[in-house]
Amino acid sequence: MVKTEGSFAVEDMKNVQINIGAVVKEEEEWDQPMGPFPRPGVATLRNWDFKLMDRYKVFYAPADDTCTLCTYGPCDLTGNQKGACGLDMSGYCGKIVLIACLMGCCAHSAHGRHLYHWCIEKFGNMDFDMGDEILVDSPIYQTVMGKKPKTLKDFGEGLNYLEEEVVQLMASTHTGQESYWGDFESKALHSGMMDDLGMEICDLLQMVAYNMPRGAADAPLVEIGMGTMDQNKGVLIAYGHNLAAGAEAMLYAEKNNLWDKVDIGGVCCTAIDLTRIGEGIGKETVPKNIGCKPKVAGAMGWWRKMVRSGVMDCIMVDEQCVYCDVLEDSQKRKIPVIATTDKIMMGLPDRTNDPIDAIVEDLVNFKMPGVAVLDPIKAGEVGIRVAIGVKPKRAEAKAQSLLTEAQFKAALDKCTQCNKCAFVCPPHIQISNLIEDAKKGNLESFSSMYEICVGCARCEQACPQGINIMDLYEYANRQYIKDQKFLMRAGRGPARDTEIRKVGAPIVLGTIPGVIALVGCSNYPKGPKEAYIMAKEFADRGYIVVTSGCMAMDMSLYKDEEGKTIWEQYEGGFDGRNVCNTGSCVANANIMGAAIKVATIFAHRNHRGNWDDIADYILSKVGACGVAWGPYSQKAASIATGCNRLGIPVVVQPHSVMYRRSFMGRHDKPEDWMVIDARDGSMQQIEPAPEAMLYIAETMEEALTEMAKLCLRPSDNSMGRMIKLTHWCEISEKYLGKLPPDWHEYVRAVADLPLKWRDQMMKELESKHGWKVDWKAKKFISGPLRPADVSFDPTNLPRKIRARK
Amino acid sequence: MAAEAKKGVDTTKNPVPFEMAQIPGPEMAKTYMPKVMGAIIKKAKRPLLVVGAELFNDPVMFDKVIEIGKMGIPIAATAHSMKGFVERGYEDNVYMTGLHPLTNYLRFEDWKGLDGNGQYDLVIFTGIFYKFANAMFSTLKHYNRNIKRVSIDRYYHVNADMTFGNLAFNPDDYHAAIDELIAAMKK
Repeated sequence: MVKTEGSFAVEDMKNVQINIGAVVKEEEEWDQPMGPFPRPGVATLRNWDFKLMDRYKVFYAPADDTCTLCTYGPCDLTGNQKGACGLDMSGYCGKIVLIACLMGCCAHSAHGRHLYHWCIEKFGNMDFDMGDEILVDSPIYQTVMGKKPKTLKDFGEGLNYLEEEVVQLMASTHTGQESYWGDFESKALHSGMMDDLGMEICDLLQMVAYNMPRGAADAPLVEIGMGTMDQNKGVLIAYGHNLAAGAEAMLYAEKNNLWDKVDIGGVCCTAIDLTRIGEGIGKETVPKNIGCKPKVAGAMGWWRKMVRSGVMDCIMVDEQCVYCDVLEDSQKRKIPVIATTDKIMMGLPDRTNDPIDAIVEDLVNFKMPGVAVLDPIKAGEVGIRVAIGVKPKRAEAKAQSLLTEAQFKAALDKCTQCNKCAFVCPPHIQISNLIEDAKKGNLESFSSMYEICVGCARCEQACPQGINIMDLYEYANRQYIKDQKFLMRAGRGPARDTEIRKVGAPIVLGTIPGVIALVGCSNYPKGPKEAYIMAKEFADRGYIVVTSGCMAMDMSLYKDEEGKTIWEQYEGGFDGRNVCNTGSCVANANIMGAAIKVATIFAHRNHRGNWDDIADYILSKVGACGVAWGPYSQKAASIATGCNRLGIPVVVQPHSVMYRRSFMGRHDKPEDWMVIDARDGSMQQIEPAPEAMLYIAETMEEALTEMAKLCLRPSDNSMGRMIKLTHWCEISEKYLGKLPPDWHEYVRAVADLPLKWRDQMMKELESKHGWKVDWKAKKFISGPLRPADVSFDPTNLPRKIRARK
Repeated sequence: MAAEAKKGVDTTKNPVPFEMAQIPGPEMAKTYMPKVMGAIIKKAKRPLLVVGAELFNDPVMFDKVIEIGKMGIPIAATAHSMKGFVERGYEDNVYMTGLHPLTNYLRFEDWKGLDGNGQYDLVIFTGIFYKFANAMFSTLKHYNRNIKRVSIDRYYHVNADMTFGNLAFNPDDYHAAIDELIAAMKK
């Protein structure tokens, strides 16, 4: 056995080595004492979860009435009946929720695990260095693990830990294991926290290894849109979330001076991550600013529209959010496919060990529709060479894949107005009406619905006439596709410590009315423009708007009257009136991390191994609200659940009922809103703020109003409360036509009231709600639930009491 | 069903979920004629009409809903449908809420209702995004079976107790069915 420095072996115990040096070093470099819960196990934070669920009741909307998970089934659970195994509907829903959260967590974490091995193999064990302005450099890792990683290899410990937790959680879903819905939900929250950790590890690894921006508010503007793909070059599309192969394609193109022959476009989060490469201030592991050369072809919701548009010549898929019929769609159009990770191999032959020339030869000459190449370097080279080589050879196939006018008209004529397509369309587009209009020569209907169509193509399967409806959309929007050219700010990574210091107090006091995090995929109820409207509404009002992933991409596709994209209208800082693109799906961890950093940097809360303390602080004092307006995958469910465990409420759109579970508070239960005043341990009833942890809104208008409301916190001072109430009431009036019915529940003093409605509201409080008003002194004699008290220190944790009464 | 009830628009046809894959299990909604449904709603002690933002796609439905409201049935205006009532100057018994928080209260038997007078015994949904309404019906189907779930929307709502068949593409028939239902309620 080889002893390492600072360690010793124990006599008579084989293969036992205790490393003390590392522990001592850790203590010296981190003055925070270890919190109570480093490396929490499955049940460690159960008390915190149950506190959350006591207030925010678990709400199930079962998507089906039967359970078919074991051989006893199917069991009818209607009316919360039990199945043969003894599990009732609530338990069944909880189990499905947990499994969904685990799927999401595993997708992110396995991505992180792959990058862990890949980055160390490619770049060596680099120092983990986020620069001088980000000293709290791994907030989730530190909060969960109680340790600070110093090198890339150190993240292995976090991965080992979370992988064990995930296995334990998955085991609990087996028949005859966990049965109580509340415990399933506690486990789902644990899985959500593991997801937070997995995402953070993944993003930190790639930020350091690929020298991505580290909190750069002025990260470069990169090109986005189908129209940016240069049709004079071979177009390689890198689709998915794992940048490894796409980055190698970029490096191959750079090394061989091929950028004049090839264009690389990313789809989904790979797009965001490719455009971050080389733009950082760290060790130059890759050519400086190489990330500005590829383009963002689009978010995942545009995938099928992109394929039908003919803009691509070769596809490299990596992992996550990849449509399962990529191969079928591309084969029809003679677009070679390269599978680059073992998570998605699509039945393709594994050519990883074959010579590159042979693979290229086979793909360029259409001897096979695709291959799996699991070595990123080799896959990158194959991708570039195939894109260039196949372009002239597939020109005819490309031309044939696009409808001519005659073909378009013939397809329209086939429609019998049976409306079977409308029965399966998620946003309920009545496609037969679009066809009728098109028959009259009016393509406007197809144009206006192009964005609202989510690109699922279920309509094509439903059509008894075999009309390729997505092709009709493409024909009608050909000019739009060519013109789809916009700019997006490259993912900037986490909030800098200096930014947190600046905004910490205004957030906690409420004078910055909130942090709005717009995250998630492209399954919007009414198109991506809603992402733009939401971001703009809150940025204009002085909120901190943070975004990531597909929502960041989709909000880029619009301009104001001056022709500016949202990134040109607002600066990219973590500050009020800014719109800040943190990065890809895994960069969502930076948003949770920012909330932790408010607690630890601004409020000096010890976060080390101290999750519930930090979550308690965020729940009571950090007016943040997550919004997944286009969630589609289980990852979105998992991210939302991770936010919830950290005390951050989330608003989702109506399709999110498929997640089955939400968390909703009850205003009519005062006992649910009792907190401890940490100053003396006394109990205090608070207003229902935030009123929900996971809220489903039917429309954007409702969502906007709820987002503003969910930024209310018990800790708001009167100025902050007044500002927050003003925005909430204004948004409600603007979008719902009326002030919210429950605004009075959030008024503690006259100074809380919005100036523009102050007198009107005081009169209403007196006449409608029976409050007593001293009009001369302009104060309430009675009525409010509690007085406004700027030093009030709400907590849900008895251990936070400073001096008992 | 009585032959007399068969007269008028036949709302019992097309009992296929509007989103075809929404097949929950053994208990599926039954389709009813408007007159029968109107009579059942009329008999309810604590009915609540719940409307959503799809009313904006068919504005005449605001007028029909208001007509029902004027018969004394309180209206829960969900999503941003409140705006439609404000624009029409009708707010008398209209409560602004979200469908999700409303369903959260409806599922608990101890809730006192939007007016504080007690839990409802029948909810009537219309103008709500199909998938969302379907899921909220599902919550009530499983967790508060004391409330009768009625859909008077243009879709076959599989998780309701009582619904029309699909009339999504026959607006004239649908409007006529609603008129018949209102007439039955007025009897």
